[in-house]
Amino acid sequence: MHRRLLIALGSVAALSVLGSAQTATKIPRMPDGKPDLQGMYDLAMLTPVERPNGLPAVLTDEQAAKLEKQAIAAQQAGSLPIAGDRSAPPKGGDGSVGPAGNVGGYNSFWIDRGSHYTSVDGQKRSSILIDPPDGRVPSLTPDARQRQASRVALVRLQSEATESTDPGLEAAGAYDDPERRPLGERCILGFGSTSGPPILPNYFYNNLHQIVQTQDSVMILTEMVHDARIVRLNAQHAPPHVRKWLGDSVGHWEGDTLLVETTNFTDKTRFRGATENLKVTERFTRVDANTLEYRFTIDDPKTWDKPWTGEYTWPITHDHLYEYACHEGNYAMGNILRGARLRESEDTKNKSKQQ
Amino acid sequence: MRTKLSSFLAGIGLVAVASMPAVAHHAFGGEFDPNKPVLLKGKIITIEWVNPHAWIHLEIPKADGTTECQYTPNAKCEEWMVEGGTPNTLLRRGITKESLAKGTEIVVDGYQTRDHSLSRANGRNVTFPDGRKLFLGSSGTGAPTDGADPADAGRGRGRGRGGL
Repeated sequence: MHRRLLIALGSVAALSVLGSAQTATKIPRMPDGKPDLQGMYDLAMLTPVERPNGLPAVLTDEQAAKLEKQAIAAQQAGSLPIAGDRSAPPKGGDGSVGPAGNVGGYNSFWIDRGSHYTSVDGQKRSSILIDPPDGRVPSLTPDARQRQASRVALVRLQSEATESTDPGLEAAGAYDDPERRPLGERCILGFGSTSGPPILPNYFYNNLHQIVQTQDSVMILTEMVHDARIVRLNAQHAPPHVRKWLGDSVGHWEGDTLLVETTNFTDKTRFRGATENLKVTERFTRVDANTLEYRFTIDDPKTWDKPWTGEYTWPITHDHLYEYACHEGNYAMGNILRGARLRESEDTKNKSKQQ
Repeated sequence: MRTKLSSFLAGIGLVAVASMPAVAHHAFGGEFDPNKPVLLKGKIITIEWVNPHAWIHLEIPKADGTTECQYTPNAKCEEWMVEGGTPNTLLRRGITKESLAKGTEIVVDGYQTRDHSLSRANGRNVTFPDGRKLFLGSSGTGAPTDGADPADAGRGRGRGRGGL
């Protein structure tokens, strides 16, 4: 009897809290009154992580419209026909830089970069980063720079490979072993922190994320590379010796915001050079039926002197998320490693000829 | 010892390159050879609709080809594979592996894999023989719309086309 009374009183209290929250904002809610974060979100957008030089933190509607128009024009230019009777590209490479690696990558019809600037509190933002106020990631600590230098130098020292003058190739040793290749290429995590945390757009393609929620946990499924991160609610972190690619995420509700703290990263995850002691704090707030606001704070004193924070909105989409299944039919990794082995055997032949 | 030290210093100099953020699934430079440009004209045999990269298989008529051509009667062919991007983007626009009929003629320019024993290349530009890009510029393929084609009304990115 006593127990029933308590439950009844608890329900009344819960309903009154729920009632006041509902009058403040009209957002989808779960049967228990908590905000319903569930849905499919498309994170493709033009707002970069860091603010480009010369841009204000908040773009005027005219500035945003102009930049958006330029991006669409560039996308359309990539769709224009070219000469059907063209010849092969130039020998020695086409001069393309970055991942296109002097061989030109592939057609733009595979790519979906997004076409809008993110709007937070009605403001069109020029960068995801809001703190530091200049919108730039703080510089790495001397310790972090030393770590990176040592890692690269160690790979180089351990390698028998010779340095190549080919601009499309990475440093000697980068192809010695599949485990030397980047996590994205190895189909373990998405590139550019798509899997997170923090979850960032990759400004290229496959930016869909799906949230599924229960009373005890929230699951965030990332299209690329097929990672499902489970946030355990009102739980303790795993013991320190348990390390995970995506870290260990626990969360709780602060009003209508889901606050998620992630620690226990592996020493190979290395978000922007961070250590395994990185702590990422994320805040998920459903602001209306079609929008979720996402904010994150990065804290790793051995990598950055002070924490830094970013935020952007996740618009709901009615598109489908497709399985990424990165290993099946993945010829690229084999082609890359086979190419490196052939270079090695050619080097050996050349050396023996010289002797 | 001296070699090791100079290697160590060279390694430090390469940090800036190694820490550059990647913006594609993999770096193409390690896979394809800039000194082996190719121009391929042939007909589509099949498309492997897989991640991280779709692969278009095409047959190219060649006097010393090792297989019978499927789409050119009484001729010998050589098979090539051309690397593209993620199929997910195209699927969302309603394009499937059925969108492009087998036997369709295409022109590809790119670079051959660093292993020259493989007949594989990146699809730097993949077009129809008249230079139109594959999957774009045609109402039948679910390409992004620019409003120029009245047949595009009510279609386009974000709406999907069903029947996938």
